[in-house]
Amino acid sequence: MSDNLNIRILKEKLFLICIGILTIATVFPLFHIMYSIIANGLPVLIKGGWSFLTGTLAPPGDGLGGIGPAIVGTFILTALASLIGLPVAVLTGIYAAEYPNSLIGRATRTLLMIMMEFPTILVGLFVMNLVVLPMGSYSAIAGALSLAIIMMPYVAVYTDEALKSIPPKYREGAFALGLTRAKVVFKVLIGLARKGIMTGVLIGIAKVAGETAPLLFTAGGASRVYFDGLNRPIGAIPLLIYNLVQQPYTNYHEIAWGASLLLMIIFLGLFLPIRLSLKEVKL
Amino acid sequence: MSKEERYIDTFKYFLLPFCLFVFGLFALMLAVYFSASIPIFQHEGIKIYTTNIWRASENPNKEFYGVLAAIYGSVYTSVLAILIALPLSVSFAVFVIDYAPQKVKEPLIVATDVMAGLPTIIYGIWGAFVLVPLLKKYVMDPLYAYLSFIPLFSFKPVTGYSYFSAGVLLGIMVTPFASAIIREAYRSLPFMYREAIYSLGATRYEATKILIKEIKPAIVAGLLLAFGRAIGETVAVSLVIGNTFNISPSLFAPGYTISSLIANQFGNAFIYKYMVSALFAAGLSLFFIGLAVNILGILILRRYGHVR
Amino acid sequence: MKKVFVVLSVLVLAAAIAGCAQQHKTTPTAPTTTPTKTTPAKTTTQQVVLIGDGATFPWPQITNWIDVYMKEHPNVKIEYNGGGSGKGQADFAAGVVDFAGSDPPLKKSLWDKLVNHPPAEGKGPLQFPDIIGAVVVCYNVPGVKHLRLDGKTLADIFMGKIKYWDNEEIKKLNPGVNLPHKEIIVIHRSDASGTTDIFTTYLCLVSPEWNSTIGAGKVVNWPVDKMGRGVGGKGNPGVVAELKNTPYSICYTELSYAIKENLKIVALKNKDGYFVLPNATTIKAAASHVSMYIAPPTAGYKENLRQLLNAPGKDSYPIVAFSHLLVWKHYSDPVKGKAVHAFIKWILTQGQNDKYIVPGYVGLPSSITQKVLSEAGI
Repeated sequence: MSDNLNIRILKEKLFLICIGILTIATVFPLFHIMYSIIANGLPVLIKGGWSFLTGTLAPPGDGLGGIGPAIVGTFILTALASLIGLPVAVLTGIYAAEYPNSLIGRATRTLLMIMMEFPTILVGLFVMNLVVLPMGSYSAIAGALSLAIIMMPYVAVYTDEALKSIPPKYREGAFALGLTRAKVVFKVLIGLARKGIMTGVLIGIAKVAGETAPLLFTAGGASRVYFDGLNRPIGAIPLLIYNLVQQPYTNYHEIAWGASLLLMIIFLGLFLPIRLSLKEVKL
Repeated sequence: MSKEERYIDTFKYFLLPFCLFVFGLFALMLAVYFSASIPIFQHEGIKIYTTNIWRASENPNKEFYGVLAAIYGSVYTSVLAILIALPLSVSFAVFVIDYAPQKVKEPLIVATDVMAGLPTIIYGIWGAFVLVPLLKKYVMDPLYAYLSFIPLFSFKPVTGYSYFSAGVLLGIMVTPFASAIIREAYRSLPFMYREAIYSLGATRYEATKILIKEIKPAIVAGLLLAFGRAIGETVAVSLVIGNTFNISPSLFAPGYTISSLIANQFGNAFIYKYMVSALFAAGLSLFFIGLAVNILGILILRRYGHVR
Repeated sequence: MKKVFVVLSVLVLAAAIAGCAQQHKTTPTAPTTTPTKTTPAKTTTQQVVLIGDGATFPWPQITNWIDVYMKEHPNVKIEYNGGGSGKGQADFAAGVVDFAGSDPPLKKSLWDKLVNHPPAEGKGPLQFPDIIGAVVVCYNVPGVKHLRLDGKTLADIFMGKIKYWDNEEIKKLNPGVNLPHKEIIVIHRSDASGTTDIFTTYLCLVSPEWNSTIGAGKVVNWPVDKMGRGVGGKGNPGVVAELKNTPYSICYTELSYAIKENLKIVALKNKDGYFVLPNATTIKAAASHVSMYIAPPTAGYKENLRQLLNAPGKDSYPIVAFSHLLVWKHYSDPVKGKAVHAFIKWILTQGQNDKYIVPGYVGLPSSITQKVLSEAGI
């Protein structure tokens, strides 16, 4: 009997050690990634200095230059994608929250979840076919449209959930005042759900600021030209990294590391504050 | 709620177009993929999916494309990814919920959330420059040296870019995602279960074993959704997969995935008559695989009340 | 919530305004200047941005030209992405770029498409040679410094028939070289590539077996892939990156990449039986031994890629080729058109000056540049 117990205790110990190790194995890559990016990227940022953020791409094998056009591009693309995507996303989210039991309401929720998981490269190809070819140019607007499609479901789902989490008494109270549904939603509920919606917006922004695949055949890329209009090609940090990694030149690899560090800082700067102010997030 | 149906809800009709717009967009996407795939189906029929040939030519009669290698590579690498994600994500969920000291619990969860959201190109550069050389030196080369009689390890790791590298990288990328779903389900198990099990004198190991059984559907769903993520991932994979038309059972062989095929070939496809269509057809297959896996995952979650 | 929207809208507004401002600059409002033929772009004050894409074969050269040109013409900004000849041709045909680089001359089918169904961007395709370069064979074999190969052996290696570095055929050509018994890893392009077209065309010329089983093209079916000894790289840069990472490998690439990355280059046996390394002298020798026929820019498809390959002469390097630029004769945006033409003219005149030529390339003889410029009528 006591042997049996010993075995059980042994099993228990083994089990604890195992899941402990596997847990460490789950998060260890993150630290390795951060370490690698900082160890390789920080010297580049220091060496490159201010001009690394503002300058244009160096010639192959010769110096660091700068990634200014990519930074400008990422900001413009993200802002533009928000402008296109947010209104539709928030209103769709409101619909899903306000009419949860209607056929369309339920279908919308399912569709949003599917879109969240949808392969992003397919969005890029779709926009290429729909916008780039007819327009006759890779363009900021095409890139932003791709990103908007990817951002939409995140914002909509967050809006939906934020509205649903409002205790019914507020809604009932507002209706009791004789307000119309539109007024109830826009004057009362949106205000109460603002934190949740804002989280969705920021998560959406953090997500698309780092996207590469949907930009491959839409944004076109730029490394010497900062901005040439919405209907012309534009750069983006992730796109630049993707292209530089595939080059043989050491200086291009250095630039890619530097750009990665910058991208990571942007992402963490957006993401960490949201994450730390909340219990959980959806990605 | 039923009261609203009695009067005309103008608000609903104001919102409806936006909702329908999202549906329309999705339908349009499907339509575009279908219509763009038609030429290749007319040219070679179902062979686009069943052969491994990539013959580009300025003479359209000579053109022939078969994307089997890419479909194979996509499935292979994604299966590898969830095989890695399964033990990691379940252990992580159990450890964090039941055993982690309060102090490390939250940081651990935050860490995986950061991992889930980290731009994929960052995984890409790390994978190509750091992970692959490490894997090649410490895993692939030794395994090949001593175990190459096993077909799985029979391919000489040349560059290190392989199904294996892509699978490991994808595994790392999707684990946090799968674990978030599993964690939620595990956390939401009624406390009574735990109390009941411990009151029977079970060790923590035995208790966990029973509890895990309870959330099996959530684990399946989490892994399905993780599979969906893995199969759709593009840039990180295309930097470590080797981009070779190859169908090999060996882990260390280079290959292609659907998304990396599109990323690599779409740029130059327009000079050929059928290549664009062939790539859209490849995209269509990815569309359906992704859709099927995701819908299944979502349904399971709904069915067992683990809706996120 | 409000704050976020305010911040966002400010950002977007700023972007939009910047866009409009930029737009106004580029839109062809009243031509403020009448550029003379001799100093074209310098007198224009409008900001013009030109986008090009295409061959990676001349990419280091084109980026150098762009850097110099942009310094001389601050109102012109030029992007050239090395996406490969295939992408260049594809983007040009789709009208998504203003000019494109392509190593092989365009095929008749594509040329007809450009003539008969031009995109909205422009019409009347023009093709110019812009530079002469060489495709070189590089290897990464630790311990081996000077490797010599002939055409047939080279074809056999790339066909997979020769599996090990210490194969008899290779040994015969390299007496005294200590070749290791290691599998040969063949690195080739994974994208549609002009460099591949040039290289495989050469292999067709020197190996009847290659010609009958594999053939030439921007994309070929590499038998080595199926044997597990083939690796694909994207663009010339991708191929060079793979070679550097992979011991016991062999690849083909443009000479300038080999020089810049300090790669070991194979001395190839030429038509007259001499082993030659690629350099300015041997490339020029190859060019001088053939009577070069340059098709008029308005009929680019007539040019023959084979004319410079496997050239006779003691010093001639066997794999030499022109790289080409594609532009439109008429652009729907006249300002852009003027700027593209000015850039092309500069490349074909001052650009051919030795001080602007990147090591690994050879400039065109002025007889050729003058001929194509006058024939193009731009």
